[in-house]
Amino acid sequence: MSKEEIFKLNNVTKTYGKTQALSSLSFSVKKGETIALIGPSGAGKTTLLNLLANLIKLDEGELLIDGLDISEYKNNKKFACKVGVIRQQFDLIDQLQVIHNVLAGRLVEWGTFKSLLSLLIPQDKNLALDALKRVGLTDKAYEKTSTLSGGEQQRVALARLLVQNPKVILADEPVSSLDPARSRDVLSMLIKLVKEENQTLITSIHSVEYAREYFDRIIAMRKGKIYFDLPSYKVTDEELSKLYNITDGVIYE
Amino acid sequence: MSNILDYFKYRKKLLLSLILLLMFAWSLFSVSWNSELLHLGGASMIMKIFKSLFNPEISSEILTLALKSAWITVVYAACGISISIVIALMFGILASGIMFKKKSNSLVAIFFKSLLGFMRAIHELVWAWLFVASIGLTPFSAIFALAIPYGGILGRIYADKFRDVDSKPIEALKSSGAGPIQTLFYGYFPLTLLDMLSYTMYRFECAIRSSTIMSFVGLGGLGYQIQLSLNDLNYNRVWSFLFFLILLVVLVDLWSSSIRKGLIER
Repeated sequence: MSKEEIFKLNNVTKTYGKTQALSSLSFSVKKGETIALIGPSGAGKTTLLNLLANLIKLDEGELLIDGLDISEYKNNKKFACKVGVIRQQFDLIDQLQVIHNVLAGRLVEWGTFKSLLSLLIPQDKNLALDALKRVGLTDKAYEKTSTLSGGEQQRVALARLLVQNPKVILADEPVSSLDPARSRDVLSMLIKLVKEENQTLITSIHSVEYAREYFDRIIAMRKGKIYFDLPSYKVTDEELSKLYNITDGVIYE
Repeated sequence: MSNILDYFKYRKKLLLSLILLLMFAWSLFSVSWNSELLHLGGASMIMKIFKSLFNPEISSEILTLALKSAWITVVYAACGISISIVIALMFGILASGIMFKKKSNSLVAIFFKSLLGFMRAIHELVWAWLFVASIGLTPFSAIFALAIPYGGILGRIYADKFRDVDSKPIEALKSSGAGPIQTLFYGYFPLTLLDMLSYTMYRFECAIRSSTIMSFVGLGGLGYQIQLSLNDLNYNRVWSFLFFLILLVVLVDLWSSSIRKGLIER
């Protein structure tokens, strides 16, 4: 396997009871790629992301992350250095000040004492303030997180990822609860930061429009399989309408 | 047949309410509705107690005594609840199973859950008797007798709150690399603090009442004074002490809501 590949999947399969959520998926992801996962509901996008995020275990097949088999990442600290996750805006601790939510990205590095002390006197403060500045929230550092709007909260989550600084970012429907303007704001910021840090990004997303506009590569899924896997400029409207077509019998086989 | 079963399934609530209502009506027959139901002198006694409500004994002597006794009652309650918070936090975290991978299956969780159950199954008054019998009429008897059952109650509630926390932010914390103790302080505590605090304050209020009752055992405090005055049939004085008790409860309530308000606004 080449050193350029951050993810490599070989015949990865996952079943829930009788439903096959993922059936022998094989693909690889190069470092620095930005990938959009699209497909109808229930296609297995979230299952795939949870698998990559080490939240669930695969049934069969092989999954390598940065050259190591996923089973070799025994504790979450080692894994968190490689992979960061962002979901919808419900990921933050509402009751904490913004700065503590951002600094939660440092918990990988910090020992117990330093993390407790930080709740009283914020540690590595400049790191957090710098991250907040890059997402445009400098003035909100000491506000209670619950007082921020949805879009702002999602930018706080981005700042946390900046502080955590993993090699890969997995985003599960990061903009599904935001309005179009806010969605564009958060997505373009996500892409910009990922490019600046030379990270890899895999995002599941409902909007095909955003997928084509912001991402290098699109992986379309349907019924737990890859429907197509193309650079986004090669994706045609015809293929997209086939992907979301319910009546061609694939879904009710 | 299945129709009848379906009928019972959907009308479960209605049927249950009917049965309970019938049982209540039936229970009324077991009361013997004659003059023996009420104590003959009862009415005049109630009037006497009611009249003295408007005429509590107010002398500097009684006021200082009431103030001193109220102070003892509050101190017992405060010490008891403080110890119980420490117990409840430790046992509650262990009983909730949040520190372990396999949640409620863990033997440790089951052990601490049972321990908390045992602590609160025995009423504080019974604990007080046990402690008075073993270590005598010392303040420690009162404090431990409060701390143990209250620790059991608070621990149970804390454990439930920890378990019911929204799992999404916790998962997010873990996936950003937080260990168990870091997750506790950055996730579980901030998410549950307000609920736990207001419940604890409510329990402190209960502890003041319990502490009053416990002093009937002879441990000093407002309850002891109330008992002495009752024995003297001095209802005016009883009311003076009761007003102090009411005042304490109201003060704790005010304090608790001001803390809550401060926390919400912060």
